[in-house]
Amino acid sequence: MPRRVLAKVRRWTAGTRALMVLLAGAALGFVGLSLFGTTMIYTSTEAFCATNCHEMANNTTLEYRDTIHDKNRTGVRAICPDCHVPHSPIPLYVAKMGALNDLWSHHVTHSVDTREKFQAQRPKMAQRVWAYMKGNDSRECRHCHTVANMDPDKQSPIAKARHEKAKKEKLTCVDCHYGVAHEVPDGPGPQELDVDRSLIPRSAIF
Amino acid sequence: MKVIQKFRSWGAGPGSLAVLIVGLVLGVVIFGAGGGFMVYANSEPFCATSCHEMDALKQEHKGTIHDVNRTGVRATCNDCHVPHEYIPNYFAKLGLLSDVWGHWTGSIDSKEKLEAKRYQLARRVWTYMKENDSRECRHCHTTAKMDPDKQTDKAKSRHEKARLEGLTCIECHFSIAHKEPEGPGPQELFSTKAAQK
Repeated sequence: MPRRVLAKVRRWTAGTRALMVLLAGAALGFVGLSLFGTTMIYTSTEAFCATNCHEMANNTTLEYRDTIHDKNRTGVRAICPDCHVPHSPIPLYVAKMGALNDLWSHHVTHSVDTREKFQAQRPKMAQRVWAYMKGNDSRECRHCHTVANMDPDKQSPIAKARHEKAKKEKLTCVDCHYGVAHEVPDGPGPQELDVDRSLIPRSAIF
Repeated sequence: MKVIQKFRSWGAGPGSLAVLIVGLVLGVVIFGAGGGFMVYANSEPFCATSCHEMDALKQEHKGTIHDVNRTGVRATCNDCHVPHEYIPNYFAKLGLLSDVWGHWTGSIDSKEKLEAKRYQLARRVWTYMKENDSRECRHCHTTAKMDPDKQTDKAKSRHEKARLEGLTCIECHFSIAHKEPEGPGPQELFSTKAAQK
């Protein structure tokens, strides 16, 4: 059996013709991967994320405008994907596949297509994001905010003391820093939310 | 016509689909590996620590505002020193082959040699930044999203002045992450150029 397979492979790869087909395949691979990569980059831009559908443009984008992550002293910003999707390539692609769900609700279920519907869903959506961030120890925050390179002496005395306290109590960023870019919904905040972090394997945090 | 026939004959073999798929996988792997290497070559572990020539520069960057600050949002080597767009980034990386040459010929392999060349090196970076209007600075620092009211009065008025005089970031913000070399700074270097315009 293996010898027959080998002979088959040998016959396939014989001649210049096979080389051309191989090169054509490689070119297809290049083009396909580039298109995929470009799509991934484009879908992570502000132009796509913040303004492409009215669900975002009329609600979350407006709320985000002029918050500290949009406008500040130095002009160093964080846009939608900086907080809301993983930064490592493979988890990012998985997250983007999950975002197909947004297409479904935009085109089929119209779940948040008016301000009223959005406000009604807000607690649920906020809690989902908080649970996600608590679950991965605010990984997306920490992608930009490197704790080891924070200078407590440049922070206000109250921030310094609270960060110290948070470290002792094993709180994560979003436990206190919630509603920093969007409206805070009614209902329990992140600290009241119960997330069993022990259930999340460390390997899930890429 | 002849070409089309040729193409047809290329794809006519029974195994060509398999060969095509192998080629496709090869293309994806090679392209992915290339892209992966580009990402790795932009990382701090590669940039700052993989050759001893960078040791001194890494040490200088330590503790500066772009390394340690209130919020812990940092800028590492590549944030300031290579373009962020993909194709220009790749070209810049090819240009860095000269660093490999410099490494093997030992052009700055001791503290003395680095200090001797520091002005020349700094000047090259300043010229590059002046010419592209501090593009790499502006990749993070979006001028339109800077809030002047959160800046000190001095910074606010100087930014205003810089705008009127057509200055770019690097003309004032130089040697903020590395030691300042002896010799004229960016404003002295480029003021004659500005006067000629």
